[in-house]
Amino acid sequence: MKGISIMKLSCREAASVCNKAEYKEANLREKLRLKLHLFFCKTCKDYYQNNRKLTGLIKKADIKPCSAEQKEIFKQHMKNGNSKTTE
Amino acid sequence: MRDSNHPKMEENQLDPEKWVDRYSDYLFNYTIVRVNDREVANDIISETFLAGLNSMKNFKGEASERTWLISILKRKIIDHYRKSNSNKGQAEVKMNFPDSDNEGDWLEERVADLSDMTAEDQMENRELGLAILDCLDQLNEKQAKIFKMKTIDGLDTETICNEFNISPSNLWVIIHRARTSLAKCLEKNWF
Repeated sequence: MKGISIMKLSCREAASVCNKAEYKEANLREKLRLKLHLFFCKTCKDYYQNNRKLTGLIKKADIKPCSAEQKEIFKQHMKNGNSKTTE
Repeated sequence: MRDSNHPKMEENQLDPEKWVDRYSDYLFNYTIVRVNDREVANDIISETFLAGLNSMKNFKGEASERTWLISILKRKIIDHYRKSNSNKGQAEVKMNFPDSDNEGDWLEERVADLSDMTAEDQMENRELGLAILDCLDQLNEKQAKIFKMKTIDGLDTETICNEFNISPSNLWVIIHRARTSLAKCLEKNWF
């Protein structure tokens, strides 16, 4: 990313706000500054769009995580040589 | 991360202590779309880990550890299908014949199904999910774990920071790196 700061937001900061925005953790002020920055900075704009796309893909994939409790159960079963998850 | 200087040291060895942490998510997503039942999926995965433990001597190191586990998993899933099919035998004969009151209802019921995702879409999404988990495997373990907690489990920043004893800005740096590598990894097939 370019090192020049545009409208008081460096590319580094812009990327950080980009990420926060994907998790709805950027505040209004950050978002406005990001918008301005993206207006001038092609590199960050590309990053922003890719990042949006990534969020979309992750959402679409609907990954079902295996819970920490379940992992403990698996470990226990491996130790005991038992494979039933229901007691 | 793999060390490219010592491929023989790093690749294709079994490390059962790490199986659960490394592969549970992948195996679970692989299984759940095929059996559609959480409990059954967990039983099958548990059996797979055990079968893996018991047949470690058969591992020739030609495939990766995960590929090898998946091949065991596939057999377990097929076993499950066989079992549930033999149980189902009788149930299948007991069809509900429509009585005159709701005759023709089934037609409308079928039509409603069409509005759902097509089988093709679902298939693509399953593959996408596995591709994402695949790419996450290539990150270092802590990075992948933090990314999953934040993105897939949807935990808030504070909880994760407390658990790993890192600052929010640390967390965002990790998320940034994870997202960048993930995008790069998925780029070829999915972007």
